[in-house]
Amino acid sequence: MAAIGTTDLKLGFLTAIELAGGGYVGGLLVTNRFGRPLEFQCTTPVRPNRTQEILYGTTLRSFVLGELIGKTLVEKSAVKPDVVLTEGDDLLELRSHVAQPVAVVEQNGGLRIGRHSLRFHPSHADDHSRLASSAESVPEQADLFEPFERVREALHETMKASAARV
Amino acid sequence: MSPSELFTERPEFATATVSLDLATNVFATGLNGAISRPPRAEPTAISLIDPPQVAERWRPTRTRVLTVGLTFPAGLEFVPPKPAPDEQQHTLRKLLPPGANVPGASGDGGKPVKKSTRLKPPADALSLQDRLFYVLQPPLEQWLSGQELVMPFEPFPFQYEGIAWLFSQEAALLADEMGLGKTMQTITAMRLLLRSGQIRRALLVCPKPLIPNWQREFKTWAGELPVTTIEGDNARRKMIWTMPGNGILLTNYELMVRDVAEFEEHELPTFDLLVLDEAQRIKNRGSRTAQTARGIKRRRAWALTGTPIENRPDELSSLYEFLEVIAPSDHPDLRQLTRLAEQYILRRTKDLVMKDMPPRLDRDEYLSLAPAQELAYKTAEKDGIVQLNEMGETISVQHVFELVLRLKQISNYDPLTGESSKLERLCADMEEIAASGGKAILFSQWTRTLDWINKQIIERVENCNPLIYHGGVPNKQREPILAKFKDDPDSHLLLMSYGTGAVGLNLQFAGYVFLFDRWWNPAVEDQAINRAHRIGCKSQVIVTKFICKDTVEERIDKVLAEKRALFAAILGGGEQTNASLSMNASEIFGLFDLKAPVKQGGLRAIGPKAA
Repeated sequence: MAAIGTTDLKLGFLTAIELAGGGYVGGLLVTNRFGRPLEFQCTTPVRPNRTQEILYGTTLRSFVLGELIGKTLVEKSAVKPDVVLTEGDDLLELRSHVAQPVAVVEQNGGLRIGRHSLRFHPSHADDHSRLASSAESVPEQADLFEPFERVREALHETMKASAARV
Repeated sequence: MSPSELFTERPEFATATVSLDLATNVFATGLNGAISRPPRAEPTAISLIDPPQVAERWRPTRTRVLTVGLTFPAGLEFVPPKPAPDEQQHTLRKLLPPGANVPGASGDGGKPVKKSTRLKPPADALSLQDRLFYVLQPPLEQWLSGQELVMPFEPFPFQYEGIAWLFSQEAALLADEMGLGKTMQTITAMRLLLRSGQIRRALLVCPKPLIPNWQREFKTWAGELPVTTIEGDNARRKMIWTMPGNGILLTNYELMVRDVAEFEEHELPTFDLLVLDEAQRIKNRGSRTAQTARGIKRRRAWALTGTPIENRPDELSSLYEFLEVIAPSDHPDLRQLTRLAEQYILRRTKDLVMKDMPPRLDRDEYLSLAPAQELAYKTAEKDGIVQLNEMGETISVQHVFELVLRLKQISNYDPLTGESSKLERLCADMEEIAASGGKAILFSQWTRTLDWINKQIIERVENCNPLIYHGGVPNKQREPILAKFKDDPDSHLLLMSYGTGAVGLNLQFAGYVFLFDRWWNPAVEDQAINRAHRIGCKSQVIVTKFICKDTVEERIDKVLAEKRALFAAILGGGEQTNASLSMNASEIFGLFDLKAPVKQGGLRAIGPKAA
């Protein structure tokens, strides 16, 4: 796989929030390497049915978040992220369904980017090398956790707007 | 019958037969047969080895997920300016982004945490897309911190809040107290709007003397933005007004009025943003300036002023009309004005946000008139009052006003002998200030007085090297004068008129301010004082107000003190009244214990035109 370009690196920040009545909404914020937003996509609430709950068992969460929500959001985005960043392993499963590298943002270890590190899907070890050179284009003081806060706030804003319409 | 017979007599019994076989009548219900019929048992064979049945098949299907999307407008890119050969790059302090070196921000531990300022959707943004646009922007500190947009100096937290507020407002009145950085906040908000593609073309209108100040501040805070000053002959100005392309046009109020009048209605250029600096210039709704400003088509409108109310609360209505948040000619009452203020006005005072700013020490110097001065004053006052009384019903506030001006001028100095108790005191102070290497600004309402002081100081105070800056000084000479005052260690005094020097200038390196005579409005005096007492001043600012005892100055000072208290009450949201803050005719007449004729009553503001 070719390395990702450095000058116009686009980062996708993918996260989801769990709804009180069950189910999830997910959001993907694509930014430039400075964190300025380029595109935002979010889902309507996704609620697994009873059959899915029983049959997917413990894998239900990663199925809903990765395969249903994550894959849809990446497919729908017009500005394709070069790498999708997540906050946890549930969304890391997305890597099996998209072409882009998917990584969990962590404090330490893995590929250093900004002030944090990236851990990639174990089955896609070359993702690390694909991103290695372009990771340097992200300012070294960049806080990679901060954009997830923006996504969550936007999801809450969207939920509020939906509730107001009902 | 004997008793024995009674016992022997056999009783007779009779028997009757009762049939126990009760007749029953059975109705033909149809059940009878079933009741009487014995049950019949019919065994059925059940096979215990059923063939297994396959239940309905379930195959995982991909649930359809609906999405909502928002694409952000492409921002404008500008070529960063090349640093001048003598300008070293390292003179600009590159800022660290939020969280850099700050503890706990994401759990880095051991590093300092910096507050982050998020953009908030404006209250009137109803569509989800509009709201998400603001919610998804990065914190301002991150945006402005040496990643994409370099800032030469780090803004204060309240300035970040001001920038975020302006960015989100389509109608905004930034009314921060003078010296808190309205210029920088405005430039940075404009810069962010341009860079994020929210605006492409902006017009900034300011008083003429402030054009160089804005040019300099744009260069400092947003050097990459194309700023074009509208100047030159008519044809050139018209060309600039209609020039296609992105960027910022800079003009002054007089040219705005003149140039806009030259355009046909359909030719009028439109802007994404119109900013009025020192917006109190349009406080009179009927003025040509106000009408012209309102007539310029734009999507966003901001007004900047440290004194949104100079005289009457109604002045706010003119600003609101410019911002298009009230209907034309609407007159909101005080309750409505306050409610509008919550949404459209941002006002911070130094007391609130700059707690660590060096203090301003006010010193009222009550001086006795010099003998010749006193004689001249008393003669003029006596003659003047006699004349006024002789005028009878023809007396007008203008007549009284002229007397006030004459007496104020004598209080400054006696024109015949040149005696002046104020000058004596000023010379004494300036000797000390010059000796200690300090710098002072002096304000007067008369250019003639300033020229006279200049001459006197040159003669009497060694090494003071005063400079003059007033309306009579050609524009081209003004900037060099300010530069000399700032940079020349031997230049210790800048003589300024209220009209030219009171607004927009940054003279925070001066530690002393003298008000040689008093202006009619405390807001203008504050503007003047805040040239020195503003962000960046390193030490306390001593403000000396000269007031001659037993003169009209003392009486005016009392009125001004009362006006200042009223001004604070209205802007501070305290008790509010409809009373005018201007000196009205009654107050002017009252300076000489004269009674204003009934026809002269009213609330017309008085005061000379600024020099």
